[in-house]
Amino acid sequence: MSLLRSGFRQLSCAVVAIGLSISGPHECALAFPVDGDQTALPAKTELNEDALARPREVFHSEIGGGRSDLIRLGNLAFSSPSILGGVAQRAGISCETCHVNGAGNARFFMPKMSTRPGNFDTTGALFNPKADNGALDPVRIPSLRGARYLAPYGADGRMASLRDFVRNVIVNEFAGAEPQPDILDAIVAYIQDIDFLPNPSLGPGGRLVGKISDSERRGEALFSKPFPHDASLSCAACHVPSSAFIDHAQHDVGSGGLFKTPTLRNADFNAPYFHDGRFDTYDQVVAHFDRVFELGLSTQDQKDLVAYLTAVGDGLMPYEYEGAGATLKEINEFAKLLGTAIPAGDKEVVALAVDTIGGELRELTERYPDRKDTSVSGGEQERANARAALKEVVLLLRHIDMAVGEGRTSDAAADYQTYRSLMLAAVPSLLASAQRWSLFNVTVHDRHFDALRQTMQSKHMSQ
Amino acid sequence: MFVMRVALCLLPVLACARMAAAGPLEEAAERYRPYAIEGIGSALTGARDLRERVAAKDLAGAKKAWLSARAGWERSEVFTAGFVPELDAMIDAWPNADSGFHAIEAKLFGTGRTDVEGDTDVLVRNLDELHNRLRDMPLTPQGLLDGTVRLAYEVGESKADGGESRISGTSLDDMRNNVAGVEFAYRTVFASPLRQADAALADSVTKHIEQLKIVVAASDLPHVDVRSLRRASEELVVALQAASAKLGLRRPTLEAQSR
Repeated sequence: MSLLRSGFRQLSCAVVAIGLSISGPHECALAFPVDGDQTALPAKTELNEDALARPREVFHSEIGGGRSDLIRLGNLAFSSPSILGGVAQRAGISCETCHVNGAGNARFFMPKMSTRPGNFDTTGALFNPKADNGALDPVRIPSLRGARYLAPYGADGRMASLRDFVRNVIVNEFAGAEPQPDILDAIVAYIQDIDFLPNPSLGPGGRLVGKISDSERRGEALFSKPFPHDASLSCAACHVPSSAFIDHAQHDVGSGGLFKTPTLRNADFNAPYFHDGRFDTYDQVVAHFDRVFELGLSTQDQKDLVAYLTAVGDGLMPYEYEGAGATLKEINEFAKLLGTAIPAGDKEVVALAVDTIGGELRELTERYPDRKDTSVSGGEQERANARAALKEVVLLLRHIDMAVGEGRTSDAAADYQTYRSLMLAAVPSLLASAQRWSLFNVTVHDRHFDALRQTMQSKHMSQ
Repeated sequence: MFVMRVALCLLPVLACARMAAAGPLEEAAERYRPYAIEGIGSALTGARDLRERVAAKDLAGAKKAWLSARAGWERSEVFTAGFVPELDAMIDAWPNADSGFHAIEAKLFGTGRTDVEGDTDVLVRNLDELHNRLRDMPLTPQGLLDGTVRLAYEVGESKADGGESRISGTSLDDMRNNVAGVEFAYRTVFASPLRQADAALADSVTKHIEQLKIVVAASDLPHVDVRSLRRASEELVVALQAASAKLGLRRPTLEAQSR
């Protein structure tokens, strides 16, 4: 994903802010929660949609030249609220909301459905009253990276099939209509295409390679060392290093039941940990195992294990700066579907694409505040041009949807060519011109959301 | 050609664009004036009442007056953004404006305070100025079509976060008043000449306005069908864009240009 930068200095500032927005306590770049009493979601819901950095997505198919239409369709459906039920649709919730770019969402928090940031009760009443089991029992929102290696599915590993699992999420957890088989296939293909981030420190058989610290080496040895009270057990017995650090099985590790072994690949970016997300850090995880399995680890042992887990769980470039270029790139990838769906007169795919891309473009428009926004000054004309450009392409998409709906595929094809031309040149150029006054600028972003937050906090303080 | 036309719309070329040549339309635009005066007049009356309630430290009465003033304002948005952008920005600024509707909203509905005398004075003064200017302000058909299209598009924006007036909880009312403003402008200024030029297109515009009215008739904001709202909004804008050529007007711009 590219970044539209107005200068090196601004980039440096952005990088600092990204770090803050990702890692724990944050002084700036906070996202603004859903709030007020007029939303489909509980007040104070945090979706983290305004974060300035997003997890980087690596696709297996891109090694071979690029994504197929099936994977694009899956990605599109994954990002579309319309495949879910009414509440999710009205709230703008999609699979992507929780699994940002196929990873997790550690900031996600929904009152009455979460007990801490990063978990969610899939058997709560909000999205599907029929799914309600009467208990607040949220599970961690998992990363989907490498999911094709990670069967069985669900925190408790109750489903062998990823396809069955995805269908269950759509129909039972989020009250969506029965998905078309091709849509379901596409979503599964998309999820199975999401790779782990590469980790150069991992060699064949899951061994640490390259410049490895002494602590990491000691941790690696401890990882395979039999437990003192049961020599058949060790960390590596379940987290098998040669197999994505899993054993495809469920175990009781003293956390309240049988849960499947989670992968350690890229786990540095998958906190919180355990099935319900109870732990924030590896230190807490290691301390838990030490206590439950009476491992007798010294303080140094624990540090060494944490060092090893950190080395195993690493990945290259885990986050990317969320600029307009990143959003446009994703939108353009989605829009390629129209190139085949329009000539085929495929109304359903065209409608899904127009609905999803149009929604993304409307959201992108709001990143360029209008002149009524008191938190931004300057660049009025540039912002107006950027907003107008994005609105024009939203309407072009609607033209396409209407034309295909009426069987005028040649009109739709002509509009699609126009749309592509604008999205390749005019629109990126106008967005770049307005970048410094947009919410992609850290300073503007923070000023804008600070203002919103303060206003809403005043309401809560008065209640 | 279409690329060029769209590209031109994206650039600030309004100053050199040709004037609309539509005599009957100019007359029709005049028929909009009483509605505009009434809408802003209603907002002004509400704001004056608000000032009195604030002076009396009557929080409930002040909130009621704010809501009344707000309704008049939202009905008038067809022309406020296009014809008086500076006043519009002052009156409707957010999120942490020093004055205007949302500054007062935050205090009344947010903190439950009535110490908004200064803010209310500014609001009354601005609305009063607008009300006075409306009597002899040129109301061009092009400007009214631009405003109608912009507002029709804006209505389709997601309100999943609670919308513009999230503190007072009146975002759905804002939308309903916006749709009423769109409908009135269309019926008063454009419906008749468009019907003469292209009856099917006129029917299409009417149909999409009715669809919008159905969507915003939802019981509350969380129950608004966002997908239908967006579709109806965009299809209405597409229809109005097509209507502009039939009416001899320029293709409407989607953003007010800065001045």
